[in-house]
Amino acid sequence: MSHEGRPRLVVVHDGDRPPGGRATPPAPRRPQPAIITGRFPRLNRRGQIALGAAVFTGLLTHGWHLFQYPLYLTDEGIYMQRAWSLVRQTRLSPYTYDYDHAPGGWIQLAGWAFPLPNQFETFGNAVNTGRFLMLLVHLASVALLFEIMRRLSGSILAASVAAFLYNVSPLAIYYQRQVLLDNLMMFWTLLGMYCLLGRDLRIRHALGAGAALGIALITKENAVFFVPSLLYLLHRRIKSSPQRRFATSLFPFAVAIPVGVYVLYAILKNELLPTGFDFDLNNPPADHVSLLYTLWWQLNRSQGSLLSSGSYLYTSWLIKDTPFLLFGLLAMAAALYWGFKDREHDPGFLIVATMTAAYAFYLVRGSVVLDFYIAPMIPLFAMCIGLVTDRLLGRFRPRLRIAVPAVAASVLLLVPTTHYLLTINTEGRVAVADQYQPRLNLTRMQEQQVAWIRKNVPANARIIMDDDLWSALHDVRPFYPSAHSHWNASSDPAVRDKLFAKNWRNVDYIIMSNKMRQAIQGNNGDGRENWILAALKNSTMVWETSQGGIKLQIYRVG
Amino acid sequence: MLTFLLYAALTVVSILLTVQSAHVLYLMLYTWDQPEAEAKAKAPDTFLPPELSFTVMLPARHEENVIKTTIDRVVRCDYPPDLLEVFVICSADDTGTIDKAEEEIAEVAREGVHNVEVIVFDDQPINKPHGLNTALPHASCDVVTIFDAEDDIHPAIFQLVNTVMINDRVNVVQSGVQLMNYQSTWYSALNVLEYFFWFKSRLHYHALEGAIPLGGNTVFFQRELLVRLGGWDDHNLTEDADLGLRVSAAGERVRVVYDDRYVTREETPPTLGQFIRQRTRWSQGFMQTLHKGTWKQMPTRKQRWLAFYVLAFPHGQALLGVYLIVSLATMFLLKVPVLVALVSSLPVLMLLAHFVTQAVGLYEFADAHGLQATPRAVLRMAVAWYPYQLVLAYAATRAMRRQLAGRTNWEKTQHVGAHRAHGEGADIHVA
Repeated sequence: MSHEGRPRLVVVHDGDRPPGGRATPPAPRRPQPAIITGRFPRLNRRGQIALGAAVFTGLLTHGWHLFQYPLYLTDEGIYMQRAWSLVRQTRLSPYTYDYDHAPGGWIQLAGWAFPLPNQFETFGNAVNTGRFLMLLVHLASVALLFEIMRRLSGSILAASVAAFLYNVSPLAIYYQRQVLLDNLMMFWTLLGMYCLLGRDLRIRHALGAGAALGIALITKENAVFFVPSLLYLLHRRIKSSPQRRFATSLFPFAVAIPVGVYVLYAILKNELLPTGFDFDLNNPPADHVSLLYTLWWQLNRSQGSLLSSGSYLYTSWLIKDTPFLLFGLLAMAAALYWGFKDREHDPGFLIVATMTAAYAFYLVRGSVVLDFYIAPMIPLFAMCIGLVTDRLLGRFRPRLRIAVPAVAASVLLLVPTTHYLLTINTEGRVAVADQYQPRLNLTRMQEQQVAWIRKNVPANARIIMDDDLWSALHDVRPFYPSAHSHWNASSDPAVRDKLFAKNWRNVDYIIMSNKMRQAIQGNNGDGRENWILAALKNSTMVWETSQGGIKLQIYRVG
Repeated sequence: MLTFLLYAALTVVSILLTVQSAHVLYLMLYTWDQPEAEAKAKAPDTFLPPELSFTVMLPARHEENVIKTTIDRVVRCDYPPDLLEVFVICSADDTGTIDKAEEEIAEVAREGVHNVEVIVFDDQPINKPHGLNTALPHASCDVVTIFDAEDDIHPAIFQLVNTVMINDRVNVVQSGVQLMNYQSTWYSALNVLEYFFWFKSRLHYHALEGAIPLGGNTVFFQRELLVRLGGWDDHNLTEDADLGLRVSAAGERVRVVYDDRYVTREETPPTLGQFIRQRTRWSQGFMQTLHKGTWKQMPTRKQRWLAFYVLAFPHGQALLGVYLIVSLATMFLLKVPVLVALVSSLPVLMLLAHFVTQAVGLYEFADAHGLQATPRAVLRMAVAWYPYQLVLAYAATRAMRRQLAGRTNWEKTQHVGAHRAHGEGADIHVA
């Protein structure tokens, strides 16, 4: 095939002839490295331009309109509130930290916000400050993804296709602008892969890759699905090289350092095991939280199939970008096939395809899936599509190899039904897509809500709200120390029992949105939110705004 | 306030120790991590014809058991006898060794070899550097080299050094020394690995940076350089390290060769007492050398720092031993803030990394020398590991005490020939 001659991740075994000519004489005592060093040439001029263009595109698509779209999400608020707690209170959460997520993500957010001149308010508010970090992380991730693709496939075309989709897909823009642990986790995973694809793999690269993977794991635990593929990549890179023993033993060690510190933290707080080793899911431990109990509980959560109607697949993801998901799935299948078939000489397909398949398995296996869990899938599908496109176009003449993807990109950008750049608005006219639409400023509604509170609500008011506004009410004067999210008000004993005593009369204000109303219903399986709903029933609406499908309100109780 | 100071001190010490032990780890892995460094460390594949002549110094004290074999090894190596002269250096009171040496000289003379003689000194101090200094004026060859009486020398070592000195135009060559009997005692595997990492990896870094404490044997000097530097320091317990730093301070490049095939084989001290005495001597020697201040004469700041760092290591070792206990105690007994406890656990993680590295090193070592490492050996090492660190810390503390008390006499290490299979043969098989 025509792409055989291009420099890429080619594995040469001891005694084989390296592709492209000269055989190295077998060394008498030391086996030769399995990978001929220098198989990844430095980026040439064309590659530099393509990389520059990819990063610049990412800056435009993710940077433009970053603070206006999408709406601030509950989870963004939670991560920022925990980062805030780390900086202001030296704690992992302002509430009881119950190991629902590993803390790596908001430690990074706190590390970012801490040295900034206005800390959390540098970019207007806490979530914006987090979003700016997401922009930087995305740009770094684009560069990493580009280089990983180039090294795995030897093709700038494959790298450019993957980077294009990673930058431009509406799914990518929607989720990657948000302050999500998944985005940080993907960055560390990509960094780990990049380390393993160094020009000549040294022990320090293996150590770096291990540390990056370890940080990915304590940023979001589902990075665990990438571990087998990364181990395989490591194995292929160091097979029969002189440092293989050190690299293979120190890589897991480097992974274990961040993870071990996390576990040690739980041990030191005596929160690793539940009291009496009681893992009964119907009977959660009452005296103290436990890392392993929470982990066990999460493994056993289940919530219908992703493929059943009403799941996020149909209500959210496919609506945002059908072609990307469809082609991504096909590309994953093709990459798996080629990957297993050609794994000996060309392990790139297998590595990317198995990472994608493992994460896809995680999504469809029937556990709890939240809307933004799709985020890590975006770079993975993008990589699959990049690899497969390059392989399919490999037989074509150079000009055609450029022309076909260029036409496809133009179609995606110019056909309004794709929502890539254009969309058809409610009046049936072609308009700029929501993510770039200057007239659409969703977060301004939330800012107006906060402004009304500051003007009309006394600072000692007992407030129930959603986490997206938490930092705004706790980090800017006047502080609202008694403002808590309905999640904590319905479950955290310190808030529920001490402050509100589960009595609607102890609530002064409810800051509401239609999303929060849904969340309250969803979270009320055991009636834990009933007293909040009672407060709502006994309240009067004092403020409201709406735009499109979004409604925000403020209620005064009593 | 007092507790705050305690926490601050604990944090600072923990971070310093973590950085230090990460650096040591880097040095241990230096050669493996840098393909170029490994290539440079190797011996040349082909040798030049013999050209340089060698004076071989064999300082020996109470070495009746092994001296004959050693002399035999040297005179029978693959190098023209007319380019070799061998001095067995003894103090006058050591008649046992002198007699055995004379016996061997007579035996080889019957085979027509006449280049061996015994040099006897009867003045104080009776130690290795003084013996070497006594012999130096008698040396007449281009290159002076030292072997210890118990050394198993590779027959091609002179050809190797001849080639390296000519090809690389260097005046000083340090070739690898390797302890071999890794299964003799509970501490021998760890001791063997110290040598392995030191000679195979770390010394190369020191040579490259120009601040190298040389080893006590299998080290080759151009004779004129040695005379110019004034020989060895009679009063130093680690005259080799001291000379290495003086060589570095004089701006001489040192070439280190560690090729598994050509290492000089030695044995670990046979008893724990011997081991502690040897380690105390080294630690105290480093302390003396540090105190003497040769390191201050190095040309660049980096060299000075590196030399200081090596010499000060025994002090650090003494501290580390204490710290290990303190760290474990604070983690589980003292109720310190979680963050302080986490930071103070970092050095423990680094120590684990060291252990992993050493376990891998055992396999590397066994592979390189055609031996078989087993999980059992690793397990033994794991059990021995912490006591070994404590022994090292004890020896360092002992050295510190001796140094402060002004006791600087030489505690000699005994040799029994455990690394030699029935006293002969270059291939040894450790059961």
